[in-house]
Amino acid sequence: MVLLGLSLVAPKSYAAVRGVALDATAPVTSGLREVTATVGGIFTGAGNYWDAAHQNARLKRERELMLQRIIEAKAISLENRELKATLQLREHSRAPVAMGRVVGSSFSSPRRYAIFSAGTSDGVRVGMPVRTAQGLIGRVIDTGALASRVLLVSDRASIIPARILRSGQPIISQGRGDGTIDLRPLEVGRNPFKPGDIVITSGTGGLYPPLVPIARVVRLDDDGAIALPLADPASTSFAMVEEPYEPEAVAEEAGGSTDTQ
Amino acid sequence: MVRAALAQKRNIGQGPLPGARFVPAISVIFASLLTALPIVSTSGWYPDFGFLVLISWRLLRADAWPAWWAAPLGFFNDLMTGHPLGFSVALWTASMLVLDLVDRRTMWRGYWLEWALATLLLFGNETAEWRIAQIMGASLPFATIIPPLLIAALAFPVFAWLAARLDRWRLGR
Repeated sequence: MVLLGLSLVAPKSYAAVRGVALDATAPVTSGLREVTATVGGIFTGAGNYWDAAHQNARLKRERELMLQRIIEAKAISLENRELKATLQLREHSRAPVAMGRVVGSSFSSPRRYAIFSAGTSDGVRVGMPVRTAQGLIGRVIDTGALASRVLLVSDRASIIPARILRSGQPIISQGRGDGTIDLRPLEVGRNPFKPGDIVITSGTGGLYPPLVPIARVVRLDDDGAIALPLADPASTSFAMVEEPYEPEAVAEEAGGSTDTQ
Repeated sequence: MVRAALAQKRNIGQGPLPGARFVPAISVIFASLLTALPIVSTSGWYPDFGFLVLISWRLLRADAWPAWWAAPLGFFNDLMTGHPLGFSVALWTASMLVLDLVDRRTMWRGYWLEWALATLLLFGNETAEWRIAQIMGASLPFATIIPPLLIAALAFPVFAWLAARLDRWRLGR
């Protein structure tokens, strides 16, 4: 009971013990991950064969659209680069700290954690954001030498300042503990969401880099929406850990409060 | 008496296993280790395997282990599952004490009663998890504990069967 009290009041005090436990299980987990990935791949692969012809037609149509979009996007990014050059905007270099795999997760608790196969020996530190090519995964909360524990975006304690990609309206994204995300607009008024909306990070707060996709809206409720994360930790193979966007701001915040766990 | 013992049909070499008294504890440790399996659960509806095996053993027999063993076993479970350290220590020890009380109070025991007791304990477990998550800044609606509780309660008979099989194996019957 005392132990529980201690770990509630001072979550940092057992970081070392927990790190060792993480390291001890990570090799097993990483090794077996290949097997489940293969098995999972077989099942989804079989599903894809089911209506291949129909899917093929749809994919071709989407590809045409995508080509158009890519050309548009290229033009925009060129323009953007020129504009930034004229403004002399200071850009951070966004080199990833470490690459790794999401190898496991918490099974039974209402909290959503994942085990990530890179640790302090790779330069991973507590508080760093983790993302894949598809979108944001979460942030590091525990580190061992070989593995770390990641608080997923679908955890209740994971609150991310975000924006709607379509309108740019600022919103708050908070996990619901069951693999989905709760979205709330910052301004009270008409519900700004539409099903299918993409939500991206806004970069406010300095932890998460801006313009990283988080989730897609699937259902509206009274004043917000429920969304599914775009990066599914169950099926992503590789993820990368990045530096906090504004390290100074994050350090300040971490010094002031201990609720990073 | 001696004659009766001689007359009894005994299978030579069928006694308890050498480390029979450690088998229950080891099985709990293995169940805790299941969280190292590379399955990424997005919903968190898997049962707490360590706790299920623990109460299966304890409901099967009162002398599976000395009651204090629940504390180190719980500590190991905390390390593996990523609960706040001390959560399983407190909860598992409390479960042992509750079951000691229940052993003293119940007039009879049966399949349904054991299942009901297990469900109550699992409910306690889920509620505690929910409460701790709330204290640690992740307050969810109480209704979110229902799906994992149902799954855990339905999984209990499987684990009870497993514990019974292990018990017969370790005692060589």
